[in-house]
Amino acid sequence: MSEAAPQQGDPGGGGDRQPGPQVGLAAVAALRGLVEVLEALQVENARAKGWSWQRIAARLGVTKQAVHHKYAGRRFLFGR
Amino acid sequence: MFEGSAEVRRVVALAGEEASRVGHRYVGPEHLLLGMLREDRSGAARVLQAEGVDLEAARAAVGRLAAQGVVPGPRPSDAELLSRLGIELDAVRRDAEQAFGIQRLGWAIREATRARRRGIGRVAHTPLEGPPLLAAHALMLARERATAFGHEAVGSELLLGVLDDITTRPPRCMSNRWVRRLHASVGLPDDYRGAAGPLLAALGVDLERLHAATVAALGETVA
Repeated sequence: MSEAAPQQGDPGGGGDRQPGPQVGLAAVAALRGLVEVLEALQVENARAKGWSWQRIAARLGVTKQAVHHKYAGRRFLFGR
Repeated sequence: MFEGSAEVRRVVALAGEEASRVGHRYVGPEHLLLGMLREDRSGAARVLQAEGVDLEAARAAVGRLAAQGVVPGPRPSDAELLSRLGIELDAVRRDAEQAFGIQRLGWAIREATRARRRGIGRVAHTPLEGPPLLAAHALMLARERATAFGHEAVGSELLLGVLDDITTRPPRCMSNRWVRRLHASVGLPDDYRGAAGPLLAALGVDLERLHAATVAALGETVA
């Protein structure tokens, strides 16, 4: 195992005051996991409400192509 | 995934508890063994106990493996990590469930974690689901055993599956970049294939004898 447990004095683990990269990076990864699910939920909801890709993209702050590339052709759960 | 076997679901749930007890953010075959020992009414637990394996000894052995670096050391949970950023994971989950319903939340989790060719923005794992179950091969072998025995659902065959998994090479399709990414996300090496073998070796169990005893015990239940 390349990554050992955070130990005392481990520069990667860090103390409580200032979390080291090991904790900081893991927190970012967890946050990304959360963001992707929430984005999928919101995009699906908007599409179900009849929003255009253009409008969704504008609200997400990305191009129409980007959001279309990522979500078009997904099997959304329309109309339950 | 487990063909509705209540026993296997209980074992997997208990394995998840054992994993989080040692700070592991995944559930592997080594945790399944602990889960089987927790489910002490099961045939698998009886076989393991007859071979001199008990829960406390197995837990201690997992701790030793973590110290040796065979399995990862304790890692903070996603909820702990996110609360450092001021995000209450439970509150986010509750809000999402209330706003969209549990079914759509489940869909969104699958959508965000699904392996796809154009995997832009996709993640290996999200904090909104439980720890990943990294025992696909053991479960597959258990299912094959159950079918061979003519059982409807997988029960004690799970132990046989875990034992077969130690000695059998998984098919190549079970190692791809999505699986490796999932391994990396919980602190495992790319080529992680379960640590049930090292765990049983640390407990001084003879694999072949345990295997024969398990088959014999299953034979008794069939008859």
